[in-house]
Amino acid sequence: MSRRTFLHDLYGLGASLGSVALTSMLAETAAAAPRPHHANAPAKHCIFLYMEGGPSHLDTFDPKPKLGQLHLKEFQRGGEEQSAMSSGKRYYVKSPFTFRQAGDSGAWMNSRFQQLAHVADEICFYRGLQGESVNHPTANYHVNTGNRFGGDPALGAWVNMGLGTENSDLPGFVVLPELSFPQGGPANWSNGFLPNRYQGTALRPQGSPLLDITPPAAITGPQQRKNLDFLATLNRRHAKRHPQHDELEARMQNYELAFRMQTRVPGLVDLGQETRATHSLYGIGQPRTDNLGRRCLLARKLVEEGVRFVQLYASTWDSHDYIARAHGSLIDSVDRPIAGLITDLRQRGLLDDTLIVWMGEFGRTPDNGIRGGIKYGRDHNPNAMAVWLAGGGVRAGHTIGATDDIGAHAVEVVRPMQDLHVTLLRLLGLDDERLRFFHAGRFKQLSQFGGKVIQELIA
Amino acid sequence: MLNRRVLPLVVSGCLGLLTCLQGAEPAEGETVRTSGGQSDDWTNRSYKPSDLWAYRPLRRPTPPATAPHPIDAFILAKHPRGLPTAPPADRATLIRRLTFDLTGLPPTPAAIIHYRLDRRPDAYRRLVERLLASPRYGEQWARHWLDVVRYADSSGFANDFLRPNAWRYRDYVIRAFNTDKPYDRFVLEQIAGDELKPDDPEHQVAVGFLRMGPWEHTGMSVARVTRQLFLDDVTNSVGQVFLGHVLRCARCHDHKFDPVPTRDYYSIQAVFATTQFAEVDAEFLPSENTRGFNAHRKYHRLRADANGRMLAGLPARRVTPNDFGRHRLGRKWRVLFNWAADSYRPIALSVYNGPGTPSRRVFSRQKPVPLPARDRPRHSSVLDGGDVFSPGDPVTPGVISATGLPATIPTSFGGRRTALARWITHPDNPLTARVIVNRIWQGHFGRGLAAHANNFGASGKPPTHPLLLDWLASEFTAHGLSIKSLHRLIVSSWAYRRSSTHPDPTTLARLDPDHTSYCVFRPRRLAAEEIRDAMLAVSGELNPKPGGLPARPDMNLEAALQPRMIMGTFAPSYVPDPLPEQRNRRTIYALKLRGQRDPFLATFNQPGPDSSCERRDTSNVTPQVFALFNSRESSDRSLALAARLLEETDSDHQAIDLAFQLTFGRHPEAAEQAAALAHWKNSIRLQAQPPAKPQTMPTTITRRANEENTGEVFTFTETLFEYRDYVPDLQPHQVDARTRGLAQLCLVLFNANEFLYVH
Repeated sequence: MSRRTFLHDLYGLGASLGSVALTSMLAETAAAAPRPHHANAPAKHCIFLYMEGGPSHLDTFDPKPKLGQLHLKEFQRGGEEQSAMSSGKRYYVKSPFTFRQAGDSGAWMNSRFQQLAHVADEICFYRGLQGESVNHPTANYHVNTGNRFGGDPALGAWVNMGLGTENSDLPGFVVLPELSFPQGGPANWSNGFLPNRYQGTALRPQGSPLLDITPPAAITGPQQRKNLDFLATLNRRHAKRHPQHDELEARMQNYELAFRMQTRVPGLVDLGQETRATHSLYGIGQPRTDNLGRRCLLARKLVEEGVRFVQLYASTWDSHDYIARAHGSLIDSVDRPIAGLITDLRQRGLLDDTLIVWMGEFGRTPDNGIRGGIKYGRDHNPNAMAVWLAGGGVRAGHTIGATDDIGAHAVEVVRPMQDLHVTLLRLLGLDDERLRFFHAGRFKQLSQFGGKVIQELIA
Repeated sequence: MLNRRVLPLVVSGCLGLLTCLQGAEPAEGETVRTSGGQSDDWTNRSYKPSDLWAYRPLRRPTPPATAPHPIDAFILAKHPRGLPTAPPADRATLIRRLTFDLTGLPPTPAAIIHYRLDRRPDAYRRLVERLLASPRYGEQWARHWLDVVRYADSSGFANDFLRPNAWRYRDYVIRAFNTDKPYDRFVLEQIAGDELKPDDPEHQVAVGFLRMGPWEHTGMSVARVTRQLFLDDVTNSVGQVFLGHVLRCARCHDHKFDPVPTRDYYSIQAVFATTQFAEVDAEFLPSENTRGFNAHRKYHRLRADANGRMLAGLPARRVTPNDFGRHRLGRKWRVLFNWAADSYRPIALSVYNGPGTPSRRVFSRQKPVPLPARDRPRHSSVLDGGDVFSPGDPVTPGVISATGLPATIPTSFGGRRTALARWITHPDNPLTARVIVNRIWQGHFGRGLAAHANNFGASGKPPTHPLLLDWLASEFTAHGLSIKSLHRLIVSSWAYRRSSTHPDPTTLARLDPDHTSYCVFRPRRLAAEEIRDAMLAVSGELNPKPGGLPARPDMNLEAALQPRMIMGTFAPSYVPDPLPEQRNRRTIYALKLRGQRDPFLATFNQPGPDSSCERRDTSNVTPQVFALFNSRESSDRSLALAARLLEETDSDHQAIDLAFQLTFGRHPEAAEQAAALAHWKNSIRLQAQPPAKPQTMPTTITRRANEENTGEVFTFTETLFEYRDYVPDLQPHQVDARTRGLAQLCLVLFNANEFLYVH
């Protein structure tokens, strides 16, 4: 048998190694092509600023003067409201911070938000959201996936399935975590039961953004290309013998995606090309703000590159004790990077295309338990929390909803998590009722069983 | 604080457990007698009869006479009408499937040939017996068990230090599987080994099960709260592991879905009210591997001495940030190193019975405190809302009352756990045998007959084949609770031996959308440990030495040296063992730190050890490509395999043939042989340049951080002693271009789907 016949057998009708690889790349590109929106929508991208640990609405954007009068008054919580965390003797705690109104809209914020105050009119504050879980991992899962118990697709995965990616060299859903992952781990950016390509990809904040993204020196570009082509040959033959096993195809696609990421990602995460002015806008180079500033700038670059959904984590707002010090320093560390991001997106004309979400997994309580002395902290509170949106399509310059006079419960425009989810999808031009996936005997959706758009948040 | 809105019931398709969902109420149906809820409404509420399947007495159904194998007969009884079944798998497929399932390793080419040519009618049975007799069997099945019990070599959370003797429990589990310890013994020893045979090291080690959870106690912690965290953890763990019940749901209130009142939760917890932590003397057994001690101890001493010298060199009056920072670190490390020396001593991570003061010892060994004369145990209580400071009704030690199986548990210090374990292993306990049988089934088919192996309650999925589950459980009970017999039974069914390709996929998708018919074998990706182990086995580098101190394999260098904080200062760096034979051992023997997971294993879905993993995820993500295609470990394995191939064969053709046999378990087809040869030739050309100098390993690393007392930066340089003596695996500069070119071919084979999937 001649060598030509071998090749013929191997690759089919005269195809060469190179062209087969190209075909598979084209197939991937086709699969990843942007899909039509379900509705007309301004936002094409989303940057989700996840304030991990549960930021206190009472100490950020929802001041409660009444707590000043109740400060250190004791009370006993009981009855139906009792949970493990909130049981026993409690006392009220006033906010240690001063507040002021910012912008033409007069939005309330902690006075330590010095930079954010300048962009207050870009923001729509929302005080009516309620979650369901008092614990971090389950509350994280609820915010991120709609299912408190994890295992379901994350919002970013749904959005990518709905909108497709604009850049087939990069994953459509990128996560920029802290050095340590949030509680609940990578299930917070899982594809769940959606195809694997919608899974969030986490970029490490130090060293190589992705471990082993660079092959060893001996594996030059040409060598790796040859390796990939030979691998594709073996995998295709194998897949032909197992035509019913669709995971094989997903794994094959991953190699091509990895190869493209390998050439693109190192350049992408290099912020050296950005001007000094941009660096200082984000607080890069300043000890307090460098960590989040770098990631906020990277988020902007990713959005410019066509990444659909970027999620950043800033930890940890879990201030059970010493809230004055802990929240104070956290506000200082996020203020400039986030205000810089909004300003930068606005300057570049990207803000109208980009939806920004700021929230944590829950708010915090107006009261605290006695834990071996008074330390002025706050416990977890899923019944009231701070959320704000900015950018594409949101009702900027407004504060929507309200909590009661001590901030224990939301009392106006009170809506559950699934309503926020369908609202975010709507802002991105997606309809939760149509963005569904058949799994385990029924069509599933981000809202689990449907939700209502919070119209008040939409311009 | 939870809102009262009635939530729709979320039915999660895969791994999600429905636990503690607020507001939903079981539907009309059957009432269940329990120890009683917090309200009459709960006590008298009724349940959907189908949600109570796990509490029904174990039946011994007669297999239908429709198939020779009872398993196949039960499966046939639920077979969708009109759905064809896949033909039997061929022998090559079958031996690969079976060898990976039972041992976690690929079959050798010799074993494949032997089986394929074995024309004896019981060839398959002989294969099964050979694999079950292999020491590799226990290593593979212990891995499944350790996922469920959350084994790790460190404590987790804020105190993520070594647990110096935890490895003895890991080896106990491996031995238990290898010796086919009857399951009731296995349960008894893990829950009450110290009570049953206090002088037997094996029993003292086994009861380490009770301490497998993460645990912390810091200066900030309230001792009683910490103690309660342990009690909650062990209660839930025992419930999940042995009884398939997420008991945690009944901690703050009567269970929302299951007939488990909060009273039961605290009654079970009361069993452990006298259980205290201890690191007890327990002589090493002849079956334990203590050979590596000296090699390890050498580096331990070097580290401890260097730390002592550093501390001695600090000024008495601390002024600079370095003075303060290094002093804090040195003192912490001195304590750590002192404790770590217990790794080499005959000590077991264990428990004892006593009143105990809530344990505060975090950094050193704690010994049992003698029982005070005439001291009586304090009574236990329901904790209202789960709050340790809100004791409610008193409870006595007890069990899950809905089972209808009573237990008499003493209220003295000792004997409580023995009584609980005897209740768990009682033949009339409806849960225990079903739970373990289901786990073993899942180990073979990728999914249990009941899909949620840790949750047999209403929120878990009911079994797809309830009669089969009951028959297997009763068969298991009738045959001495032998796990190995259960394997024999399962793998001898046709359901297990079918091809993974179905003759009519369209009908299959229509009639069996949830893949519960067993009419086709569901392929699986190798688990993280299997990938690494199989690569080492194929390259010929695997050191099969069983047991002993945790091995420190190579880890991605960036991940290994990433700063890690514990207790306000740096943790010592992860440094691999110096010699290849120390590093290249089976992955189950690798050091498992909760706070520093091996990224290769984590990427391939090795679960984190903080919560019980009932079933592994096998999601497919791009970082897996980087780990397998670009990592130094993959390159090392590929080069070693290339060297092996050239060593063992006489021609290019033979080398490629052997490569396919080792990795895929078959010979290459002619076209593959040609393509592989072409790739090799091309790679020789591309590898013609002499390789760069090998990477030198860092022998020191300098850390920088803000110092607590001064708020200024301090630096600290750590010596990485093992790297001074580090002998790398075979490196490119040690071989010729032909070998390096072949290594590229091997790298591709390791990345191929055919290597990574079992069909």
